[in-house]
Amino acid sequence: MLLAGGQGSRLKALTSKVAKPAVPFGGKYRIIDFPLSNCVNSGIDTVGVLTQYKPLELNAYIGSGQPWDLDAMDGGVHILPPYVREDEKGTWYKGTANAIFQNISFIEQYDPEYVLILSGDHIYKMDYSQMLDRHKEMNAACTISVLEVSMEEASRFGIMNVDKNDNIYEFEEKPKHPKSNLASMGIYIFTWSKLREYLMADEADEKSSNDFGKNIIPSMLEAGEIMTAYRFSGYWKDVGTIDSLWDANMDMLSPASAGFDVYDTEWPIYARTAVRPPHFTGAEAILTHSIVTSGCEVYGTVEDSVLFHSVTVEEGARVRYSILMPGAVVKKGAVVEYAIVAERAVIGEYAHVGGDKSKDPEWGIAVVAQDLKVGKGALVPPGAMITRNVKGVRA
Amino acid sequence: MNDLHGIVFAYRESPDLRELAQVRNSCSIPYGGRYRLVDFALSNLVNAGVTDVGIIVHSSYQSLLDHVGSGKDWDLSRKRGGLRILPPFSYANKHHKGNLYRGRMDALAGVYSYLKNIRQDYVLLTSGDLAANLPIAEAFEQHLKTRADITAITVPTTIADPRMTNYFTTDKDGRITDVAVGPTVPNGEVSLETYIMSKSLLLGLVDRCAAHDVPSFSQGVLLNSVGGRIRLQAFRFDGYAARLQTVTGYFMRSMELLDPAVRASLFRTDRPIKTKDQSNPSTYYGPEAQSTNSLISDGCIIEGTVVNSILARGVRVEKGARVENCILMQRSTVQSDAVLRYVIADKNVRVCQGRMLMGHGTYPLVIAKNEVV
Repeated sequence: MLLAGGQGSRLKALTSKVAKPAVPFGGKYRIIDFPLSNCVNSGIDTVGVLTQYKPLELNAYIGSGQPWDLDAMDGGVHILPPYVREDEKGTWYKGTANAIFQNISFIEQYDPEYVLILSGDHIYKMDYSQMLDRHKEMNAACTISVLEVSMEEASRFGIMNVDKNDNIYEFEEKPKHPKSNLASMGIYIFTWSKLREYLMADEADEKSSNDFGKNIIPSMLEAGEIMTAYRFSGYWKDVGTIDSLWDANMDMLSPASAGFDVYDTEWPIYARTAVRPPHFTGAEAILTHSIVTSGCEVYGTVEDSVLFHSVTVEEGARVRYSILMPGAVVKKGAVVEYAIVAERAVIGEYAHVGGDKSKDPEWGIAVVAQDLKVGKGALVPPGAMITRNVKGVRA
Repeated sequence: MNDLHGIVFAYRESPDLRELAQVRNSCSIPYGGRYRLVDFALSNLVNAGVTDVGIIVHSSYQSLLDHVGSGKDWDLSRKRGGLRILPPFSYANKHHKGNLYRGRMDALAGVYSYLKNIRQDYVLLTSGDLAANLPIAEAFEQHLKTRADITAITVPTTIADPRMTNYFTTDKDGRITDVAVGPTVPNGEVSLETYIMSKSLLLGLVDRCAAHDVPSFSQGVLLNSVGGRIRLQAFRFDGYAARLQTVTGYFMRSMELLDPAVRASLFRTDRPIKTKDQSNPSTYYGPEAQSTNSLISDGCIIEGTVVNSILARGVRVEKGARVENCILMQRSTVQSDAVLRYVIADKNVRVCQGRMLMGHGTYPLVIAKNEVV
């Protein structure tokens, strides 16, 4: 069960029209491709995707599930929006646990032994079948995937305190003085009969905020259920903010040092892709330390950047440390640096978006939202969040 | 447009394509980085709203089958109609001794029972090795409007060896008044070997040619129609078209894709050319990479220098390697410090460290599939 209803409000302009899991990532992908591909590569053939916020683009993207081989006759991928049940008023998903509660009947169609709960906002590759092996071996009611983080960072995460067998005895949400550095990755495996019991109890409790981290996990711990941690090591990145989204995209440019390689054919990441001709590099083009996708036309300079499909960089334009989403255009002589330019946005001739890294507290990644125009010669300062067209400057 | 059926000829052997056509039919030769030639015929039909397409094959069609699959990448995997691969299932011609079809009428006779069951009133015949983005819907509209018996799609200038081309002389209304079959010099409008006619006329022509043992479409249909009762009409196409019959022709036509005007004509966004989806990641350029005047498909890892070249999906060019005026097919690798000029490397070729390979524009060096240099 993939929780894909989050608004992703910290991504601001990038999620004004789409849900966070549908935000483009890494040249070819959207964020949801990572958990979906992990499912398929782990041998999971039935996936429910729970949607709520701005679902249109996400629904169209997932479609029949064919790019992930999830267009099966039995199982496959299912989009699960909130709906109205008989004798009841329909409600939105009130929290992560309530979202699963509302889909108990979907899960029971398949009569599963175990249920995997995922979120659609992380970039990582993980074999869930190994986690399930540990869950079975420990005969656990719940297994939570954890990552070792530095002690300084630990207070930003939900922290699991474990005994010598990695069984969880305590869960602390963003503790000021963490006792361990095992951070929850928001990936849970539950024995379905147990989870069902706790979901029912949680729903009956009117004071509950119907959330896995705040309610379900603490009440299972309190009741003394077997809760175990599964240690994951490897690349894992939350892309919930503009900075972390930019960072994770930049990691794609250094697969070896970041420890994240999408070229590995053993664990392919699938995506629904647009059929475009190969990208073209012009006679004067300079392209270094970047990733470029089909349909792009590059005549200018691109350094340390991620170009999604059908991006145009005209003569004399310069793109550095930036992310250009599908269909973005950088006109002649424009400069784009430390910026995210969303789908189909046009940066006018000789405009300047973003600026070199500096110690200025105002400095940040500049963002131009989708379908906008930045006029000729206009200046977009570092850290700006552009949500309206920017007028050109008359020379 | 549900009244037109597509028949794609994909049975021909192409010895002049040497190593490129040894392991595959000329229709499944990789072209333009990520495409196979047959993608054009299939996409053209689908873009005109055609829902039923038969591909006539005879031998070495394993690679073609692998590429088109069920036809789902062209939306041709359907409950009714869709894509059918047609091997010679009903061929019982006494002249046939297990050899190839001798011509297009022979090939059509070979799939006669399929033709009889076509549910549309009109049929478009085309060749699977033609690279062009054709406005088939417009040609069909013209066919109906002019009440022609056969409409032939033509281009004004020659695109291949004239001896392997049919030429038409037309009057001011576009009616074809004379046909020249494989002359030594270009002579009139060039036929793209793409014809529209009614199903009933096609069946009659196949019957008549079989009865007189005329295997060739040019002889049996085109030459026979001139001055006769069958009205031939030209539909003039003014975009880019290429036929790939020799290695040098393949190389030169491919290199024309580096011209933005040619790409704009072939890869129009209103009539997209579709192909098999492979889920490759984006192409990665290393810190020392250089790439100019080149077409590069997804999934490549480029750490060396690429100039005036076309790279298919998943090609690797390692540090210090130099690739100039080359066509590198899927998953070929050029290891560090190797230098390649005027080379066509087929799929999975590996050129080891420091090797130097050079052909010439008029005679590109071809390295066969899976070879290691």
